[in-house]
Amino acid sequence: MRLQLTVNGTPRGLEIDPTARLIDVLRDELQLTGAKEGCGEGECGACTVLVDGKAVASCLMLAVQARGREVVTVEGLAVEGELDTLQQKFVEYGAVQCGFCTPGMLMSAKALLLQNPTPSERDIRVALAGNLCRCTGYSAIVAAVKAASGQEAAPLMELPADPGELATEATSDPETLEAAREVARRAAEPRRDEEVE
Amino acid sequence: MHELRYVGGSYPVHDVAQKVTGELVYGSDFTLPGMLHAKLVLSPIAHGLVKRVDASRAEALPEVVRVFSCVDSPMTTFCRARIHPGQDLVAHDETLFSEHVRFVGDRVAAVVATTRAAAVAAAALVEVEYEELPALLTVEQALSRRDVAIHPGGNLVYEYEVEKGAARAVEGAVVVESVTSTPRVHHAALEPHVCIAQGHGGGGMTVWTTSQGSYAARTVIAELLGLEYHRVRVVKLPMGGSFGGKTEYIVEPVVAFLARELRRPVKLLLDREECIRATMVRPATCTGITTTCTRDGRLLDFEAVSTLDAGAYASSTPDYGIHMTKKVTKAYRVPHYRHLSRTVLTNTPVAGAARGWGAPEMAVAVETHMDRVASALRLDPVEFRLKNLVEPSDIDLVTGLSLGEARVRECLRRGADAFDWTTRRARPVGRGRYRRGVGVAVGAHKNGMYGAFPEASNMALKMNEDGTFELSASLHDPGCGVITVMKVIVGEVLGVHPDLIAAGEADTAVTPFDYGTYGSRVTYVVGACAERVAREVRARLLEAAADLLREPVERLHVRDGAVWVKDDHERSIAYRDIAVLSGMRHVPSISAAVTYFATSNPASYSVQFAEVEVDCATGLTAVTDFLAVGDVGRAVNRGMCEAQFRGAVQMGIGYALCEQVVVDEAGRSGVAGFKNYHIVNAPDMPEVQVLLVEHEGDDGPFGAKSVGEIATVPTAPAVVNAVNHALATQLSELPLTPERILAALRGREVSA
Repeated sequence: MRLQLTVNGTPRGLEIDPTARLIDVLRDELQLTGAKEGCGEGECGACTVLVDGKAVASCLMLAVQARGREVVTVEGLAVEGELDTLQQKFVEYGAVQCGFCTPGMLMSAKALLLQNPTPSERDIRVALAGNLCRCTGYSAIVAAVKAASGQEAAPLMELPADPGELATEATSDPETLEAAREVARRAAEPRRDEEVE
Repeated sequence: MHELRYVGGSYPVHDVAQKVTGELVYGSDFTLPGMLHAKLVLSPIAHGLVKRVDASRAEALPEVVRVFSCVDSPMTTFCRARIHPGQDLVAHDETLFSEHVRFVGDRVAAVVATTRAAAVAAAALVEVEYEELPALLTVEQALSRRDVAIHPGGNLVYEYEVEKGAARAVEGAVVVESVTSTPRVHHAALEPHVCIAQGHGGGGMTVWTTSQGSYAARTVIAELLGLEYHRVRVVKLPMGGSFGGKTEYIVEPVVAFLARELRRPVKLLLDREECIRATMVRPATCTGITTTCTRDGRLLDFEAVSTLDAGAYASSTPDYGIHMTKKVTKAYRVPHYRHLSRTVLTNTPVAGAARGWGAPEMAVAVETHMDRVASALRLDPVEFRLKNLVEPSDIDLVTGLSLGEARVRECLRRGADAFDWTTRRARPVGRGRYRRGVGVAVGAHKNGMYGAFPEASNMALKMNEDGTFELSASLHDPGCGVITVMKVIVGEVLGVHPDLIAAGEADTAVTPFDYGTYGSRVTYVVGACAERVAREVRARLLEAAADLLREPVERLHVRDGAVWVKDDHERSIAYRDIAVLSGMRHVPSISAAVTYFATSNPASYSVQFAEVEVDCATGLTAVTDFLAVGDVGRAVNRGMCEAQFRGAVQMGIGYALCEQVVVDEAGRSGVAGFKNYHIVNAPDMPEVQVLLVEHEGDDGPFGAKSVGEIATVPTAPAVVNAVNHALATQLSELPLTPERILAALRGREVSA
């Protein structure tokens, strides 16, 4: 059957099996593998996506139920390469370890913040109750969501350095460099002589 | 030690940018052109013989390529837990598919189809006829029914006994006994088990795995399939957690076999129910302890008997049994220690490696026992432990190895202060519906396999033409930051930001031999290897710079990606310039390769403090406050080191209170998914404070010791001891479910 829906802002039309789950259409047909399948029964939350702004377990929803609706997956959070605040805070607060729960955590948190821009810690924990994580103990995730809502604590992580910045970090002092170049040049010459001999 | 520039900082996991955008390709996301999908057919009975397999209905489906089963596949045996061909104590007791099925979940057949959906549908159409045999579902049944052998050789598959020191008779000594049991639990890594393999023309193959040991996977696959090792290439893919659950090779041999037979890429991705039933679980254990103590609280004698339920295949459980005997004397000074461990086969899910490898199990037994002794002697639990804990440089009575800079006493003292233990322990627990208690527990664990296994690692490190670096090592990051740790160590030695160092994961065709992520060896042994190889490269870098700067090496040092002339803040040459200039001369590449042998195995420690509130009406326990103290030597990546503790505490609370893979009278696991296997979620997790005890003195990189396993060792007993404090009970059968708590309270007055 034919399915029309919007995924990450782009209207899509595709032929699907009417029994296909939303997660399978996203992952297999649209190659959006950000949503993960950890249990297939709506218990772990790794497959969470937004459907019309609400967090949904995409393993429990038929794709056809998303007809005409707006689906946002983790791939749709960043805009033109610019990370969403939530993603940025997940990085800064060390909220990611193995990362398999991360896409679902981000989407549940996004749904929460869309509804409640300044949630309490309890609100956050309850909103994430359906998203299981085996690595982090949740603290860093909760702190990251809090920070994304403007309730910033001290970030836990050093950000990955900007490669451009790093490359220019170390520069030789010009005099030393020129002398070294001269050494290299001179050292190369006798060899050429040797080759001639 | 000089000031550390990068070690001790906090860095996100190396692939965080790909993880938050969803672009990282995990094993379960991995596909190849023309890839086929496999689905296993698992035994629905606990014990029996396959009489007939009829795959005709399955094979009639157009998408089905072929069905393989125990009636038409090789019966070559393998050991899923093997990591090296020269290894002792490996039971080759498993085949690809079983004619003799030994548990609900044993592999009988595999369907291969062009789509996953078709493979799933076809698997349900494979008809298997069984002849049932008596199922031995408990250790007691397995030991008493000598007429039923799960494997040839008997159900008591392994016994190990250690006795060290000498008993000393003291008049008026106090004898305390306890029996503790721990459940079989599911690792619950969020990503299910997955493997992809491709058979090549010419007889070779490539296997993409999300395991903790690629060379280990290769030894299992190559021997099973009769392939020379160089024809089997195993590549590690990003994985969504392991916790030991992916250190044994369960799906890999099957997928490799299917791919070789079909000469097509084949993927096998398990679902959650299969992960729980048909991979492996943490072994259920039962430990009886008898101790003798002087009246003033000094241990004289410690005797223990542990029984491990290995499930249907021996796997690593016998080794687990050995290691359970090596935990107590890492933490406590005991004049006489005797410990017998017995590993028993049953017709239940296969047990095997799990975070802590026997240490969490023993910690539950020992630490609940220590509270009983303290109570019998009317001593405070902290005070009693301080009378008996080891000191730095003590020799481990059982292994004969130095415990190194063992700072367990410091962990306990500082933790007790930070937790305000004395005050909180003295507080009334309450008499109403809600009771509040606090508990403490000590844990000890190892740093690698030295003492039991040759312990070494190999690495190569090269400087690129632009002054950046690439580390070639067989790393296996389960997701906790293994790669980041290596980058920080190398960066520290070379004086460059860790992000200027690339480090990939294992690929047996490319990266040098290493066992993998086992036995808390990664930071301590593999990390030390990274430090050594970086020092070698630094030496060559300094030689090249000395040559270019016309300065003796002794006058030079590295900092911020450049070589500097000492006492001359003006003169420096950047790595990029060294790489280019020396590269144009006679040093085409600054690089080194090293083999590092570990020659020590100190202990890592954690002491943890829990506060709980028990609802006497419902039997539900809430953990309301938690402090984890860790002697980690040195936190290489501080943020992730602390994060390891927080995650480990989540796992340990589940172990104490709710996690358990139960098996019914027919041997079926009542647990089919997260619906009825509860891991602690965000609302139920307390805020966990972490206190790290850091020091120099051990052989790890910059003094660092292991963290990932030790972090979860004492969690469960700390929670159990807190519950026992709150309720004045001596509960020691885990998990402390509401039913068990209510049963313990039955007959007691509970005022509202």
